[in-house]
Amino acid sequence: MLSAVLRRVFLSLLTLFFLAAFIFAATEILPGDALDVTLSADEMAMMPPERLAEMKRDLGLDRPAVERLGAFLLGVAQLDFGRTIISRAPVVDIVAYPLRNSLLLAGAVIVTALPLALILGVSAARWYRRPLDNVVSTGVIVGYSVPEFVIGTFLVMLFAVTWPLFPATITASTRDPALTLLAAAPLPVATILIGSIAYLARILRVGMVDALASDFVERLRLMGVPEWRVLLLHALPAAVVPSLMATALYAAALVSGIVVVELVFAYPGLGQELVRAVTRREVHVIQAIALASAAIVVVFNLLADLAILALDPRTRM
Amino acid sequence: MGITIRRLLRRPLTALGIVLVLVHLTVALIAPSIVPFDPFKLLDAPLEPPGTTYWLGTDELGRDFLSRLLMGGRIAIVASLAAGFIATLGGGLLGLAMAYYRGPFDDVVSRIVEMKLAIPSILFVSLFVTGFGQSLAVLVFVMAVIKMMGVIRTVRAQGIVLMEQGYVKVAQMRGEHGPAIILREMLPNVADLLTVEFALRTSSALLLVSALSFLGLGLSPPTPDWGLMIHDGLQSIRSEPWLILAPALCISTLVIGLNFATEGIADAVGLEAARGVAGH
Amino acid sequence: MALPGTEPLVRCESLSIGYADADGGLVPVVSDVSFTIAPGEAVGIVGESGSGKSTLARALLGYRRAGSAFLGGRLFYRDTDMAAATVTPAVVALRGTAVAMVPQNPLASLTFHMPVGRQVVEVLRTRAGLGRAAAGDRMLELLRRTGLPEPTELARRYPHQLSGGQRQRVVIAAALACNPDLLVLDEPTTALDKTTEAQVLELVADLRRDSGAALVLVTHDLNVVARVCERVLVMKDGRIVEDGPVGRVFSRPRTAYARQLLGAALLIDPQRAPQARPRTAELLSLRDVAFSHARAGWFGRAPAVRRTLDQISVDVGRGEVLGVIGESGSGKTTLGLLLAGMLTPQAGAICFEGHPLAPHVADRTRDQRRRIQMVFQDPLSSLNPRQTVGSALIRPLRHFFGLDCTAAHERTAALLARLGMGPEYLDRFPRQLSGGQQQRVAIARAFAAEPDLLICDEITSALDASVQAQVLDHLLELQRGSAAAMLVITHDLSVIWKVAPRVIVLKDGHIVEQGATEAVFGHPKDRYTADLLESATLAARLVATA
Repeated sequence: MLSAVLRRVFLSLLTLFFLAAFIFAATEILPGDALDVTLSADEMAMMPPERLAEMKRDLGLDRPAVERLGAFLLGVAQLDFGRTIISRAPVVDIVAYPLRNSLLLAGAVIVTALPLALILGVSAARWYRRPLDNVVSTGVIVGYSVPEFVIGTFLVMLFAVTWPLFPATITASTRDPALTLLAAAPLPVATILIGSIAYLARILRVGMVDALASDFVERLRLMGVPEWRVLLLHALPAAVVPSLMATALYAAALVSGIVVVELVFAYPGLGQELVRAVTRREVHVIQAIALASAAIVVVFNLLADLAILALDPRTRM
Repeated sequence: MGITIRRLLRRPLTALGIVLVLVHLTVALIAPSIVPFDPFKLLDAPLEPPGTTYWLGTDELGRDFLSRLLMGGRIAIVASLAAGFIATLGGGLLGLAMAYYRGPFDDVVSRIVEMKLAIPSILFVSLFVTGFGQSLAVLVFVMAVIKMMGVIRTVRAQGIVLMEQGYVKVAQMRGEHGPAIILREMLPNVADLLTVEFALRTSSALLLVSALSFLGLGLSPPTPDWGLMIHDGLQSIRSEPWLILAPALCISTLVIGLNFATEGIADAVGLEAARGVAGH
Repeated sequence: MALPGTEPLVRCESLSIGYADADGGLVPVVSDVSFTIAPGEAVGIVGESGSGKSTLARALLGYRRAGSAFLGGRLFYRDTDMAAATVTPAVVALRGTAVAMVPQNPLASLTFHMPVGRQVVEVLRTRAGLGRAAAGDRMLELLRRTGLPEPTELARRYPHQLSGGQRQRVVIAAALACNPDLLVLDEPTTALDKTTEAQVLELVADLRRDSGAALVLVTHDLNVVARVCERVLVMKDGRIVEDGPVGRVFSRPRTAYARQLLGAALLIDPQRAPQARPRTAELLSLRDVAFSHARAGWFGRAPAVRRTLDQISVDVGRGEVLGVIGESGSGKTTLGLLLAGMLTPQAGAICFEGHPLAPHVADRTRDQRRRIQMVFQDPLSSLNPRQTVGSALIRPLRHFFGLDCTAAHERTAALLARLGMGPEYLDRFPRQLSGGQQQRVAIARAFAAEPDLLICDEITSALDASVQAQVLDHLLELQRGSAAAMLVITHDLSVIWKVAPRVIVLKDGHIVEQGATEAVFGHPKDRYTADLLESATLAARLVATA
């Protein structure tokens, strides 16, 4: 059991290591180096070659790619992502609070989405292909078909313009206390919630339909065991196991959704920071944000793996 | 085949989905010849209200909104179809090859797929847009890579099932070569699966490309594009809400239609299992 | 047949049950079935897959699977209507208490994430109304009564940590929790090996003697019925075609179908032993071949596995038919795949015509590949659903003999004709053929290569009893005409008795016995072979003695 846990933790760390290397390669090795990426073609042409060489030397970009990759990985291991190329501000300072704010949003979404998705998924599966299931299944398709930015702007129109219950954009600033931010964020949370519930309910419904069609459920029903016990104590844990396999996909989709929604509502999180960094071509900030979001997904996945270990004794070998 | 089509049409939502998709595709196809005005030209004062000249008014730069709306799906649809097609074809062949050869090749590609799945799509695109610049070719390529991962997973799983089938074993025993077996014996048996995958990946590519355009990371102005139009419309959300509502309706009905149709097709060809992993 | 004067336990009158098809209609799988069951009676329901026997068994508990519905008729357990339009509380109250069920696959029928003890306790608490402590004690008692060793320790284990026989004992223990008056067993031993099957059936017979409960035993295996039941119902296509005491039905079957079923039962009659041809030159020889499924992952987990096959040494002469008997897990399929070059042995040598044979099929010569052909168990999966019969048959002709299309086409038509199928089948797809026809096409494809050795892996076990004989006859006819040697791999002793003069018996990857079939079947030396024969010939012996 312990070795199974340790093995998964080790694999997660290994995954993060490779991801960091990939992120560096995609931004600083394949297309050139940090400076090539930061400066536009025009700016490059304008700059005298000596000045460019000097800048590269200052930034350590004259070293071979492997050496730069090593330095990057070493920095990442110490949570040091370097400084921005132009303003020389430490990247960690830029990213830390937005990361916290985005995690707050993610936490709020998950805490609300999980119970609702459980109820919807389980009851749809219980009444498989009956009217309730048809409504839920159709709603689920609509839920994940409508883009987050459409849902978001729609909610703004309804609850900020037509009935001004909430502000259209978030007024809280980056370093406000967590509770202030959360209190300001019901519309962003609601926006992501719709897609999240749709996604989770669909996965749970499929898992639950399979579980309810299994031989052990039939045996329990043939033995007259009360239906609520069959559903909640036997079928549900069995349905959750395959659902957990899709955690990485869900977490990745959640992060993408958060990025978009933050822009709709001007919420001071990673998404805002990402778009700003991309437009200003701040390579190191983009790297940090990419790695942070990858880390979120990897951690979610690790938690899911551990949950599977807890739920399914067959995996504890 | 006839039975399949009849089964498709018996489900009202599937029929609705097919109709929605056909309408959108037709409009996208004939848009250049039916638009009342040049969608790029600054014609009049900005933010004209809907009227007899400009049926839906003008946008914030004074261009005819209806013309831009009609043209606004074309690039996104073509990009998504291209990405979906490359993803399905490449992922299908790669997935089958992994199932056929197994061994280190399979292990390495499987790890890469798992790793890629840990990077949220928008971040993945951002990395490449940062590195390689913002062009349609880069966009299609990156979206194809992103959507390919899911196809590889699904097709590989199905390929492993096929490898247990007697006809694949018999072909191997005859001494036929790997590529011949993959193309002749395996590929025709995942045709249904690939059709569904193509539809799924195209619809999720469509969601991705419009989200990217909305963020300013996808298509760039002055391309008429629904995602861009919603982004631009945010400024006048209080006074001219139709500037957002109209493109929002377009993109939503297209994706909903595509997903309704896909669901029905998957069901009709007996791919219930595809539902669980659909969409991402 | 209830004794006069006693109220029947179950009364079924003209019952019909239907399943929804893809177009929304209801197709009957049980039609117009009538019978009664007396208290304490043991009734077998026999039929092939798809005969409706499992559906009928579940109906006895008022249960219908998703998509099925009662179409008409009446079914009573004592005074309770079990076939009402909706499942009534009265029906649910009987489940697990008065009527209990033991399903087919014990591994899938136990909840994988719950210790087995708790699953028995759950029934005791919710159905027998026992308190926590009493339920715990009773659970241990039940596990002991079903012959499980060290129940306290075993109760804490999960289903996957038990053996097949132990799992089925746990399921039986749960079924006995409330001392039911009727125990329904649906293929209770199909997932078990023969030795375990005998033990479990013995347990069932013992428990019945102790408790006086009535039994309904659903099975495809006449030998299982012969072991436990007094009365037998024979089902075909949803109807009961025969109903009577086991002795009478087995010795004087009234319907052609029952005769057919019994005809498939193994009868060891020395007059009809398969005759060996004179020993000829050696075709194939295996020396100390061993194989294990070990594939170390990237990160350790090097499994210390038991070998799937160990120390296998066999010789096959030209044109000889060698039978290989083994149950699932004995390594018999692995043996076939090794010879076919689909798996690589870890040790030992395979010689074909005196020359060493490369382990992997890709390293063999085209001629060697042509001369060793294989036919698989599942006829549908052995034909590509996207290719017509014609293109499936033409492929080996073009590949091995380089024939042009017309010549190949003529030959395929001739081959099919020898298997009793007309040229019109060439343009059909596998799904348009019956199981027997599909298997004949697979056999034709193998013979198209003009092999010297044909490996037949359970080629009749997916077919109905009535079709099995026909396919075997065709196979033997082709084999005699071509002088190919055959390796007939099967768990079915009657297949061996019919086709193979010499036999080897595999158990846990070892050859436990080999020799002339007549000698091995007549006087088995190994205990395991004797067990196999005992359980396979029960029905036939009953016929003989009745």
